[in-house]
Amino acid sequence: MGMFTMMSISASALSAERQRAEVTSANLANAETTHTDTGGPFVRKEVVFGTSNASPFQTVFDRAGGFGRPTSGAVQLTGVVNDTTPPVMRYEPGSPDADKDGYVAYPAINPVTEMVDLMGAVRSYQLNASAVSAAKQMIQESIDILKTT
Amino acid sequence: MATTPMLQVLQGFLKVTTERQQFITANMANVDTPGYHTRDINFKSALQQAMNPGGETHLEPASIELDNLPERPDGNNVNIDREGLMLSQTQLQYQLGVQLVKNQFHELLTAIKD
Repeated sequence: MGMFTMMSISASALSAERQRAEVTSANLANAETTHTDTGGPFVRKEVVFGTSNASPFQTVFDRAGGFGRPTSGAVQLTGVVNDTTPPVMRYEPGSPDADKDGYVAYPAINPVTEMVDLMGAVRSYQLNASAVSAAKQMIQESIDILKTT
Repeated sequence: MATTPMLQVLQGFLKVTTERQQFITANMANVDTPGYHTRDINFKSALQQAMNPGGETHLEPASIELDNLPERPDGNNVNIDREGLMLSQTQLQYQLGVQLVKNQFHELLTAIKD
């Protein structure tokens, strides 16, 4: 059914945006982390979104056959990639993480970039949440046909 | 099976509106997907096809990609304002369809009662 497909598409976007916000929060929290389990400073992470499209043939076939199969347009998190920007070196000879020249490797994270990314994720989340309420309202209206006046 | 010809028409109208709303939802979901292009249906031809299901079925793609919208550097051309507007518009169209269906049943009921 079309209207429940709408809700599942929006739900996929809500989940993807939430994961994006999570990754961005982790970046912000670890902006000054110089020591990790794998050694070296924290590496900035970024999410990659992809769409799961049905093929045009599938779409036309379903339509011609009158099958109510959903026309997919859901979004999915295809991966979390590491930022390859080299770490920022700061001269701090007293730090336990300093190398032999006295430099400490800090993650190349700009808090402003992360904040903007976080805001983008929140806005997209709100947008999709409003799409969910629109779908809910439409379903409710359809149910109301059954009500006798 | 629709009881009146008007209901048959309304059934097609609601079907097409739902289908369009689905594409709008998908566009909204993919607002941050690189390379995604806005998709929509050809409302007129989809409506014509839905109105006469017995007629000749010329196969045409269910969705069209809109390429006339300005594209962002990541290849995505989803315009949030357009989608928001279309969401409300389609929702109201659907509401109209539902009200007309209700009206049809109400008329039927009146005919039975009187």
